Amino acid sequence: MTMLKNTKIDTTQKAKQTVLHAQNVRKSFGSRGNVQQVLKGIDLHVEEGEFVGIMGPSGAGKTTLLNVLATIDRATEGTILISGSDISRMKDAKLSAFRRDQLGFIFQDYNLLDTLTVKENILLPISLGKMKKKEAEAEFQSISSILGITELADKYPHEISGGQKQRTSAARALINKPSMVFADEPTGALDSKSASSLLGTLADVNQKREVTIMMVTHDPLASSYCSRVVFLKDGHIYSELYKGSKSRQAFFQEIMNVQAVLGGDSVDTL
Amino acid sequence: MSRLCSGVTALTLFDLVIRSMRKNIKHYYLYFFALILSVVLYFVFATLQYDSAILELSGTNMGTAFQAAGILLLFIAGIFVVYANSIFLKRRSREIGLYQLIGLTKRVVARLLIVENILLGIGALIIGIAVGLLVSRVFLLLLMKLIGYESFIEVSFSVAAVVQTIVVFIGIFALTTVQMIVMVFRNTLLSLFNSDKAGEHPKKPKTGVSAAFGLLGLLLIGFGYWFSGRMLNELFFFNILIVLATVIAGTYLLFRVTISWLLFKVRSRKEGHLGLLNSLSLAPLMHRLKGNANSLTVITILSAMTLTMVAFSYAMYYETERETDIRMPFDFMFDNNEAQTNEIMGEMDQKGIGYQHGKVDMLVVPTMFEQGVFPGESFERPTAIISDKQLQAAGIDIVAPKDGSASYHDASSLSMFADSVDLPIKIEIQDEDRTTVEITEMGERNVINWSLFYGQLVVSDETYQSLKNKLSGMEGAKIEYIDGFHILEEKDQKTASAIFQQPKYTSSGPHVDYYSSYEESVQDNGLMIFIAGFLGLVFLISTGSILYFKQMTEAEQEKKSYATLRQLGFTGKEIMKGIIRKQVFVFGLPLAIGLLHSVFAMKAASFFFQSDILMPATLAMGVYTLIYTAFAFLTIGYYRKTVNAAL
Ligand SMILES: Nc1ncnc2c1ncn2[C@@H]1O[C@H](COP(=O)(O)OP(=O)(O)OP(=O)(O)O)[C@@H](O)[C@H]1O
Ligand SMILES: [Mg+2]
Repeated sequence: MTMLKNTKIDTTQKAKQTVLHAQNVRKSFGSRGNVQQVLKGIDLHVEEGEFVGIMGPSGAGKTTLLNVLATIDRATEGTILISGSDISRMKDAKLSAFRRDQLGFIFQDYNLLDTLTVKENILLPISLGKMKKKEAEAEFQSISSILGITELADKYPHEISGGQKQRTSAARALINKPSMVFADEPTGALDSKSASSLLGTLADVNQKREVTIMMVTHDPLASSYCSRVVFLKDGHIYSELYKGSKSRQAFFQEIMNVQAVLGGDSVDTL
Repeated sequence: MSRLCSGVTALTLFDLVIRSMRKNIKHYYLYFFALILSVVLYFVFATLQYDSAILELSGTNMGTAFQAAGILLLFIAGIFVVYANSIFLKRRSREIGLYQLIGLTKRVVARLLIVENILLGIGALIIGIAVGLLVSRVFLLLLMKLIGYESFIEVSFSVAAVVQTIVVFIGIFALTTVQMIVMVFRNTLLSLFNSDKAGEHPKKPKTGVSAAFGLLGLLLIGFGYWFSGRMLNELFFFNILIVLATVIAGTYLLFRVTISWLLFKVRSRKEGHLGLLNSLSLAPLMHRLKGNANSLTVITILSAMTLTMVAFSYAMYYETERETDIRMPFDFMFDNNEAQTNEIMGEMDQKGIGYQHGKVDMLVVPTMFEQGVFPGESFERPTAIISDKQLQAAGIDIVAPKDGSASYHDASSLSMFADSVDLPIKIEIQDEDRTTVEITEMGERNVINWSLFYGQLVVSDETYQSLKNKLSGMEGAKIEYIDGFHILEEKDQKTASAIFQQPKYTSSGPHVDYYSSYEESVQDNGLMIFIAGFLGLVFLISTGSILYFKQMTEAEQEKKSYATLRQLGFTGKEIMKGIIRKQVFVFGLPLAIGLLHSVFAMKAASFFFQSDILMPATLAMGVYTLIYTAFAFLTIGYYRKTVNAAL
C-alpha cells in the first residue's frame, strides 16, 4: 500500500461518476496450510469512460484481479462496487444476471461458440433480455459496422481469422451496452497489425460510446492506447500512469520506463 | 545394445501405461464399464445355455433358439465393444498424439495401447464373470418362472460357459486391438490433435436437392408403412424385404437430410437471433447430425426391431393359454374306443380322481363351403355334425342357434379368416341332394379336441336327428363317437395327464391332452420370451449406452462453451434448459421414430394372433421408454456436473 503513488490529479475526466470502486481486495488460493495470497490488498477507482490498462510481470495477479473485479471469481476479502452495486455480497444467480446486464468480456482466446455463426455469437448476451428483435438487429448493425465485421455475419468462427474472431468477441462484449468491459490480453494472439487495428477500434468505442474498459496486457504498445495504466507487482499496485494530454509515443515511452524498473517481462520469465 | 534398449523401453513402457491409466481413469471407466457389461451379459447367457436344468428341459427347437440367440448376442457384444472403443480412442487421441510428439515411435505407442487393452480385457473378464455368476441366478429363476418349472434349481458353475465367454472375448479384444493399431498408424499427428474438436461444421444445404431428398425420406417411410399393411400374398417374404429396405433407407434420409434441412430452415428464419435455448440445442444438434446419422439410424431400427420382437413373443406367451383352451375343450378324449375309455375310468376311480365323462355322437359327412366364402378354391372336407344337447351333457357350454341353422367351429388356421366372413354362409353336404346347412354363427373355440381333424358343426338336437336320419345312408357318411373327460380338481390334472399318456392308451392319431399340451407350449413360449426379452434388454442397454457415451464426449467437447456462457452471465440453470432440450431430441427422436416403426411392424404382425397384441405391445413400449428415459436422465446428470464445474 505504501507503493501506491496517489496521483489523483486528473484534469481531463472531472465530474465523472465512479464505475468501479475496489477497496482492500485480497484473494488467496489453496486450502489450509498451503495458502497462497495472490492479491494483497488492492484499492482501485475507475471512472466512467476510462480505458484502464493493467500491466505487470507474469504471476503478478493480473488475471486474478480481472476475474475478481469482473465477478467471475470471488475475492477472499474486500469490497467491490460496480455502478454502485456491491458485487462481493451478491448471490451467484444475481451475479450472473449482473454480469449479463452490466458487463462485457473479451478473452485472449476469443471464446466464441464453434457451433454459432458470428452474428449468433454476438447476439448471444442479449438473447435472454427483453430487447425486441428490431432493436437488437439495429444494435448488431451498429456495433458490427464499427468493428468492421458486418460482412462476416453468417460465417462460422472456423471460417474467419484470429483478428476477426477477436473483433467478434469484442462486438459480443459491447452488444448489451455494458457499463464496463473487461479484456484479458485481447491482443495476445494477434499480429501487430490486427492488434493495433483492434486497439484503435476499442479506443474509438471507448471515446464515442463512452464505454469504460479495463484491459490486461503485456504489451506496452497496447497499453499506450489506454488513458491510464496500472502496474501490478506481487499482488500490490506498484504504480499508475495517466496519459493525460500526452501523445501516444510519449506515453509509450513512460510505460517502457516503468516496466524497465519493474523488470521481469513475462516472456523472459517463461 | 539393441536388446538392452528394448528392455529399457519395455520397463518404462509399463510405467507409462500404469501412469496414463491412472491419469485417464475417467476416460477408461466408460470403456471398461462397456467391456464389463458385455462380459456379464454374455456370460449369463452362456451359463443359462449350459445349465443342466435347461438342457434337460429343452427340446431341439429350444436348443436351436438358444444357439441362434447366442450368435446374435455375440454380434451385439462385438459391435458394442468396438463402438465403445472407437469413442474411447477418439477421446484419447490428443494423449496418443502427445506420446508421439515427445518422441515415442508409433510402434511403441501401439504397444502401449495393446498392453493397456490386455490389462483392461483381463480385468473386465474377471469382474464380468464374477458379477455374471452372481446375477445369472436371478436370470435363471426368471426363466424358470416363465417356463413354469417348479422344482428346486441351483446354478452350477459352468466351466464350459467360462471357456466360451473367454474365447469370444479374446476374439473381440483382438478386434479392438486391430482398431487401436489402425488408429495409431493411419492418423497423422495433426488429425490426432484435432479429432477431439467438435465434428464437422454445418454447411448450408443446397435447398433444392435437400428438399427433394428430405421429402424422399418421408415418402419412403410412408410407403413402407402403407405397404406393411398389404403384405399378405404369395410374395410375403419378398414384401417384408421391401418394407424393411424402404423404411431403413427412409429413416437414414430422415436423419441425414430431412431433419437437418428442417432445422436449417428454422435457424435461417431466426436471422441470427437464435437465443440461448436454441444455441444450446439446435446449433450443436445441426453441428453433429451428419456424423450421427448412421448411429441414429441403426439405433432407431434396432429399437423398432427389438420392440416388435419382444411384443411378438410376449403376445405369443399370452396366447398360449388361450390357444390351448380354444383348441381343447376336453382335458382329454378318446374317439371310438370303448375299451380304452372303460379302462381309464377304472384307473382314475382307483386313484380317486374326480372327473366328468360324456359320450358325444357325431355324424361325419363330406362337405364343401359355398364358393367365394374363403379365399382360394373351396375343397371337400369331412365335417362332424354334433348335437348341442349331447355336448351340454358332456360339460361343454354351448347352445346351437334355433331355427335349424348351425354354428361352425374350427380353431385352426381357417378361423383367421372367420372375422372377415359375412354371415350367414352355407355349407354344402356332398350327398345326392346337395343338402345345405346354414351357418349363422362362427364359434371361435372347438367343441371337441382338435385331434380329430373334422370341421365341427353344432346343431340343435332335432336338427341333428333329422340330418342323421336323412344322411346316415349316404356314401362316405360315418357315425362316430367320442368320450370326453373333464378333470374336476386342478390338483389331479397332472396325475390324470400321466395316466392318459401311458403307452397303452396311445392311438394312431395325435395323442394329446390339455395339461401336457399347455405345459409344453408354456415352456416353449416362456423360453422364447426369455430369449427375446434378454436380447431386447441387451439391445436397449447397448443403444442407450452408446447414446450416453456420445453425449458424454459431446459434453467434454463443449465444456469450454459452457464456461464462456457462464462468464457471459448465464446461470447453470439457464444453460441446463438448453441442454435438456437437446437431450429431448437426442433420445426422443430415435425413440419416437423407433416406436412409430414398431407400431406399424406390430400392426402387420398382429395378423398372426387372435388375441389382442395391444397389451404386450404397450407394455414393451412402456419399458423401453422408461429405460431410455433413465439413460436420458443419466446424461443430463453428467451435463449438469460438467456445466457446474465449467466456471
Ligand atoms: N485457480 C488458481 N489456483 C491456485 N493458484 C492460482 C489460481 N489462479 C492463479 N493462481 C496463482 O496466482 C498467481 C497469479 O496468477 P495470475 O493468473 O493472476 O497471473 P497473471 O498476472 O495473469 O500472469 P500472466 O501474465 O502469466 O497471465 C500465480 O502464481 C498463480 O499460480
Ligand atoms: Mg494472465
